[in-house]
Amino acid sequence: MMRVGSLLIAVLACAPAAAQEPNSFAPEQIRLGAEIFARNCSPCHGPRMQDPEGAFDLRTLPAEQHSRFVNSVSHGKNSMPPWAGLLKAEEIEALWAYVMAGEK
Amino acid sequence: MKITAVVATLALLGGGALAQTLDELRHDGSNPDNVLTYGMGYSLQRYSPLRQIDRMTVKRLVPVWSLSLDNPWGEQAQPLVYNGVMYVTDAKASVAIDVATGRQIWKTPVDWLPETPRVVCCGVSSKGAAIFNGKVFRTTLDSYVVALDQKTGKEIWKQKAAEWMDGTSMTVAPLIAGGVLITGISGAEFGIRGFIDGWDPDTGKHLWRRDTIPARGEPGNETWPQDTDAWQHGGGSAWITGSYDPDLDLTYWGTGNPAPWASQTRPGDNLYASSVLALRPKTGEIVWHYQFTPGDQYDYDAVWELILADIDVAGSNRKVVMQLNRNGFLYVLDRTNGQLISAKPYEKVSWASEIDLKTGRPVETDVARNLRAGQEVELWPSTRGAKNWPHAAFNPQTGLLYANTMHRGALYRHIEVKPWVAGQRYQFVENRVAPLPPGEAPAHMDAIDPLTAKPRWRAPLTDHPQWSAMLATGGGLLFTGKETGEFIAVDAETGKTLWQFQTGSGVNAMPITYTQNGRQYVTVLSGLGGLYLNTNRQQLTNVPLGGSVWTFAVMPD
Repeated sequence: MMRVGSLLIAVLACAPAAAQEPNSFAPEQIRLGAEIFARNCSPCHGPRMQDPEGAFDLRTLPAEQHSRFVNSVSHGKNSMPPWAGLLKAEEIEALWAYVMAGEK
Repeated sequence: MKITAVVATLALLGGGALAQTLDELRHDGSNPDNVLTYGMGYSLQRYSPLRQIDRMTVKRLVPVWSLSLDNPWGEQAQPLVYNGVMYVTDAKASVAIDVATGRQIWKTPVDWLPETPRVVCCGVSSKGAAIFNGKVFRTTLDSYVVALDQKTGKEIWKQKAAEWMDGTSMTVAPLIAGGVLITGISGAEFGIRGFIDGWDPDTGKHLWRRDTIPARGEPGNETWPQDTDAWQHGGGSAWITGSYDPDLDLTYWGTGNPAPWASQTRPGDNLYASSVLALRPKTGEIVWHYQFTPGDQYDYDAVWELILADIDVAGSNRKVVMQLNRNGFLYVLDRTNGQLISAKPYEKVSWASEIDLKTGRPVETDVARNLRAGQEVELWPSTRGAKNWPHAAFNPQTGLLYANTMHRGALYRHIEVKPWVAGQRYQFVENRVAPLPPGEAPAHMDAIDPLTAKPRWRAPLTDHPQWSAMLATGGGLLFTGKETGEFIAVDAETGKTLWQFQTGSGVNAMPITYTQNGRQYVTVLSGLGGLYLNTNRQQLTNVPLGGSVWTFAVMPD
């Protein structure tokens, strides 16, 4: 299992995740989110969030919907199963950072 | 056959009209009132000689009853019928129904934790049950095998096949072959090591396990890296019910893709992934095997129905096993020994130019080589296959296979493989839909000659592929269904749709036909679900979820 670096923990601890500016996430956090996404999310939401086919298009997720995002990922929605037992809270935050930062 | 005699005697002593025998299972179809096996016969032909409903009368086909299954997860199963009672499964319940009235006799729920769908790659479902000697057998999403009392639905035994949190799940319909209950497993997308199990149907005692990926020291393991444990997470699931030849006493099971999909950590052929295994049902011994896609790097499962038939090959009658493989080729093998007879493409194929009949191996193209070298390729068929699981039918009268096929490519590449983690995805690919050339349909209904793989006819489907099995009948009809909810009857000679009925949800299941009191019925489940819903939810927003059973008959004059 991937461990989140202490730097990232520090960043998370002192920065509220909601409504954060896309460019204010730590690169390590975005990178971790991208890795988790590529492994577990891309099969439905599309590689690098492109071509999500039937799943929700994460590129359209508004920045003020952090709590909706965390709730959906943690507890599941439609065909999406609950991920809370498998992904740690900081890993779900890393996914949020990746989704907000977007693919460059 | 000794066992048959013993079981038959026991059945008589028990006096149970519920206690069907191995002999009845073997001759499924000879009594048209019953549908006792997955595939409507051990050969998985999905063919019935019944002809009361034919090209002329089908226009008077009307629903006679419908029953709600109260399930939002999708219905894929094939019902079974025995002595006027129908047995239906989905992921959430097993149900017994009075065929005459459509009334529910009993319903036994299936419980699993809400997290379980995390390890289900492609749709929360159940493909169906097996029935034998007074019991209904099924598998559960969280990897248990269960026996229920056929009369009451009460649980008789329950055995854990595997730990779901390690990435396993079960949707497969069990098979009774030679008195043994046989089940497979799902989970190659989560890096499981696949297996097929044999159980004692009476007690639930575990009789044998055939790992589909051989261990160190076993034949076949040499096709895996010897300096890593890649084989321990090598995939090769078995999620579609095998066929069975009682004369040869061989059961034929297809195996799924090797894991992970990206192949860089597992150079080699990776036996016995993407293969057919001919097994002895009493021991699980592999009598012969054939690998369709050596070193599969495309998710080309080989689990689809392995249809048995005796067909004319160059003037001699051969016992064959046929498969419309996900990789785009139609394979015909001698089922006595696994010898390859024919392998021709039935759809557009870009990864191989042909199958060499001498070696039995595909002749790879630059697409295969470039993909292995790390490049993005345009892969035909796409990872979802030229055909997915919706089963084909074979009509022995016409000698043709009838199938719902797909015409899609993928823009596809491998990405870096990370270490296996229990319950996490183990695929490591980027996979997008390739643009379809203008004027080409994304899917078809096909009537296909087994030896040439050429279509007798193709009926293009311009909106959605069909994810229902085909049913072929002696009335010259095919029955199948649409994601948009229509249950349809098709002229088997032309591919023309002759009749349709709008059910309440999508139809992605397996129709059956049978008689009661001399009247022919057709039954199918409705309930949108499965992989196609997962990948096309936005295109199906006007198709509501919710399971139900629909039964049809010709309206009397």
